[in-house]
Amino acid sequence: MSKKPSTGPISLHKVIMVGSGGVGKSALTLQFMYDEFVEDYEPTKADSYRKKVVLDGEEVQIDILDTAGQEDYAAIRDNYFRSGEGFLCVFSITDDESFQATQEFREQILRVKNDENIPFLLVGNKCDLNDKRKVPLSECQARAQQWGGVPYVETSAKTRENVDKVFFDLMREIRSRKTEDSTKASGRAKDKSKRRKLKCTLL
Amino acid sequence: MIPPLVTGISPKEGPAGTKITIRGENLGLRANDLISVQICGGECSFEWQSKNKIIARTGINGVKGKGDVIVTTSSGGVGNCTVQFRTYVESIGPLKESAVWVEETPIQSLTWGQRRMVTSSYHSQEDPLSLSIEGNDKKFTEDLREIFPENSGDLSRENFSPYWFLLENHHATSFDDLKAGYSYLKRKVEGQKEGQLSFLKTHVGAVIDQLDTMMKLKDKIDNNGEVEIAERIHNLQGTISQSIDSSHALFDDVLMRREKADKSRAALSVLNRYKFLFCLPMSIQKNADNNEFDIIVNDYARVKNLYSGKVDIPLIKRVLSEIDEIILEVRKNLHNKLKEMPQAVEQQKKFVKCLINLEIQQFGTKQYERLKINDPAWDSLFCRARYIEETFKRTYEEFQEREVQAKENNSVKRDQNSLPIRVLFCEEINEIAAGQFPDLWRLGQSYFTGELRGINEPKPGNFKQIILNVIEKFCCYIRSSILPNYYQKFSSVPPWTSNSSQQALISTWLPTCLRYLRITYSSLIRLDLPNEVLDVVLKLIDELRLFCLLTILKKSIDKVKRLDEKEGWDMKVEEFPGATALPEKFEEILAESLDEGQQMCLQLEVRENPLFDGIHNLEGYHEVSKIIETALGCFSTVIEELATQRSDDEIHPLPRHNITGFPVNTSLNDSKSTAISTITITWEHRLLYCLANAAYCNKMFINNLGNLFTKYGYPIPKLALENGRSNMNMVFANLLEIYVELKNDTIVSHIEPSMFSSDNFSWNTIEKCDKLSFWANQCLDNIVGVYLEIFAVSPFLLRPILEQIIQTIAEELSRLMNSVEQFNNCGRVQAILDIKMIRDSLKLYNNERAKLSFNEAMDAIPKLSNDENRYVDELLKSIKIQRRIQLMCLNVVNPS
Repeated sequence: MSKKPSTGPISLHKVIMVGSGGVGKSALTLQFMYDEFVEDYEPTKADSYRKKVVLDGEEVQIDILDTAGQEDYAAIRDNYFRSGEGFLCVFSITDDESFQATQEFREQILRVKNDENIPFLLVGNKCDLNDKRKVPLSECQARAQQWGGVPYVETSAKTRENVDKVFFDLMREIRSRKTEDSTKASGRAKDKSKRRKLKCTLL
Repeated sequence: MIPPLVTGISPKEGPAGTKITIRGENLGLRANDLISVQICGGECSFEWQSKNKIIARTGINGVKGKGDVIVTTSSGGVGNCTVQFRTYVESIGPLKESAVWVEETPIQSLTWGQRRMVTSSYHSQEDPLSLSIEGNDKKFTEDLREIFPENSGDLSRENFSPYWFLLENHHATSFDDLKAGYSYLKRKVEGQKEGQLSFLKTHVGAVIDQLDTMMKLKDKIDNNGEVEIAERIHNLQGTISQSIDSSHALFDDVLMRREKADKSRAALSVLNRYKFLFCLPMSIQKNADNNEFDIIVNDYARVKNLYSGKVDIPLIKRVLSEIDEIILEVRKNLHNKLKEMPQAVEQQKKFVKCLINLEIQQFGTKQYERLKINDPAWDSLFCRARYIEETFKRTYEEFQEREVQAKENNSVKRDQNSLPIRVLFCEEINEIAAGQFPDLWRLGQSYFTGELRGINEPKPGNFKQIILNVIEKFCCYIRSSILPNYYQKFSSVPPWTSNSSQQALISTWLPTCLRYLRITYSSLIRLDLPNEVLDVVLKLIDELRLFCLLTILKKSIDKVKRLDEKEGWDMKVEEFPGATALPEKFEEILAESLDEGQQMCLQLEVRENPLFDGIHNLEGYHEVSKIIETALGCFSTVIEELATQRSDDEIHPLPRHNITGFPVNTSLNDSKSTAISTITITWEHRLLYCLANAAYCNKMFINNLGNLFTKYGYPIPKLALENGRSNMNMVFANLLEIYVELKNDTIVSHIEPSMFSSDNFSWNTIEKCDKLSFWANQCLDNIVGVYLEIFAVSPFLLRPILEQIIQTIAEELSRLMNSVEQFNNCGRVQAILDIKMIRDSLKLYNNERAKLSFNEAMDAIPKLSNDENRYVDELLKSIKIQRRIQLMCLNVVNPS
């Protein structure tokens, strides 16, 4: 990919953590942000994080909105969701209820965003506790498949397994989605450049 | 030195007092490295955890809405942030737990109804589409009313029109946003429906339980028949009413708590009030000690306000009366304070205001009756005025003292350059007046504008008198110090211990004094004082100006007196030959003085009158005139003295020719220039020069002086000039007499000796007469000599001098002829010839008396026959021709 060095302000990707209470959204976020694993559980209301990361050689900013899993806050979720560009839908592989709840989150996101192809990752957390697994891997993969082939990744906030992967994968999706949108907006211009490229190869 | 960077906050929003976990980079190396945490502009309490983490609690002084989270460390300085915290206001209801103290005004203004109103209005502002309405100014309201006359944009109204609403609130919203808003609204509505469904879903167990119970209930009822139903219903009713009661009780509990809170608040405020009351005596004392009278006034007003009604509690009564006592003391204190001097006007005004305030408040109590201050503002005015007067007096005495001391200690090594004490006094007193008088006046102004109005009416008449007194005192002191000999009639102050030598010293400094006084005057003018007051100062200024002028002119007299040293016998005056540069020098002196006087005294400054304005200052002008006259008189004297002064070597007359009687070495025939260049000028010459000067002054110079006065803006002192002229005339006459006397000595007194020079000469023994006799020749020669001497100096003097001399000659001849006993024939002819010759030669200078005397002389000679007469005439003619060159000069009619 030949990318022009971005001269303007560095792009910002807005990620939203969703999922039931206690599945490890905040743990994942803090691990990603600060390489820190928080043992004590404190329910989140809504936390905000933002930092610069290098995504495929390009400096970007990631903005993470860590939302509340508890039902009490369900009413204000709509507002949060609307600002999101990509979603990490987290459940705990040791808690089937949290897995079931993902369905509702998925629906709510699609409803708010009104978009079937919104960048979205299904994340099964706490994979270090494989011995206490309640949700079979196959079931998880099946659900991801069922949702139009969204990626399914298993992570561990404790061991940091796949933590960076989920965030970076999601950012890539968001990025490609954004370029897609701009291509749509200026379709012809893109076509022309493609044609020229072709000629060049011929010569 | 990397500044702190906040990259995460948890939570990202909340009301004041929210505990926040802040994460980021470089948030401080140690706990004491962290200096401050600011959230939304408000300082927070914080706890340092690690360099990546801080726990903070938002303060109440932050700005509402989104704001930055700024961490400051001593190692990294002021930091930055990538995330923002949103502070919002959380309304606290009676059932809502709150970790922070919710501010409520002591008067229970936050009633329940009001709060509901507030919240409802808050809700109405929320957009149903959950879209930002920024940039959507409501600007079409009037048009919309026309388009949808039946409808309204108000969501809560029955005739709500969505079109209206969208046009009004979202005319600038993009279509995509509107679509999003629409789906949001749809979802919300669905969510509400779903809410019921999900409620059922989540409580399905309970619902099923209820259904089961109802089923069981139905079974029971079916089984037990209808008898029990009534009973059960009754039970049910009981239970329901019980639950109602308990719910009431629950709510009563809330109400009770509220009531309790109110009570404790009321109790607190009562406690505060009494604390205030009981502490007041002490705090008044303290404030009085610290001069914080404003606070006392406020506190006292508050007490009066709180306990204005009839208080029956004895304790409070006692405290109140104690407070009144203290206030009485404070009033006394204030009254003394406002009379204290010196102090700033503002301070004094403050005291007066406080006192008046306290008086008004205490009015009616028995303590008020005990100290009645009629008009504190007036007292302050009076004290200030008295203070100024006293300062004047003190300064006056102090400087007198200093002068006496200076005289005792320092009489030998007096420094001529240092200012005399009196001048210093003048400067000082002017400074006092210019500095303090405005304060008095301003105080008076505020008094009459009502700013310091007490219970009584102001007294304008008296104030004017006070101001007048102060200013008059001021003027008197100045008069007494620098004008002691003048205008003593105004002395309402003790005279300055007189000292004439000091007085003389001062005179040179008078202009300085005048300048001081003028500065003061101009500062007084700026105050808008009444004319009456200003006129007092103006009068002093006029006096001083006059005195100053007189002093300057008097100085010129001294210079005039020393003019004789300046006489260089330098003939310069073109229009009057013989006059020297002396009058010019006199004019210079006069011009210099007049110029100085004009600059110092005549030139007008703000609000001053011309010094010599018609009858305005006749007396003053008279003085000036007298001085000018004296100056002229002195000048005359100088001329006279110059003429009569004879240096030692001249006391012995120069060796004279025995017979001619003329000084041998006189430069009779020298030209003018040599006469000037000769170093020793003979006395006769000086006499002549002086005569010329006197004549010049008399005829022209003094009259011309009038122009000088006009040039410098003075009125012409006609009388003085006239007197000066007559003085000069007298000098001229005197000098003329001296000169004529002198010449008579040399000419007339030699006639007789030369006539009888041969031993046996007698008019009776003359044998032949064919020429002029020796004495007549001699006489004519001498006259021509004198003529030339005078002519060399000034032709103007010829006539007055020669006439006199010739008259004397004629008289002498008449005497001589009459004393001749007998003439022989020849003698007769000779005598007639001689006399006629002399007479005719000098006929231009013969006055009536000379003619008469000549005739007398000729009458004394026996009459000649016709032949003899003819002979004499012929002889006369030939002699005249013979001597025409010598006699030519005498026949020039107008020799100038």
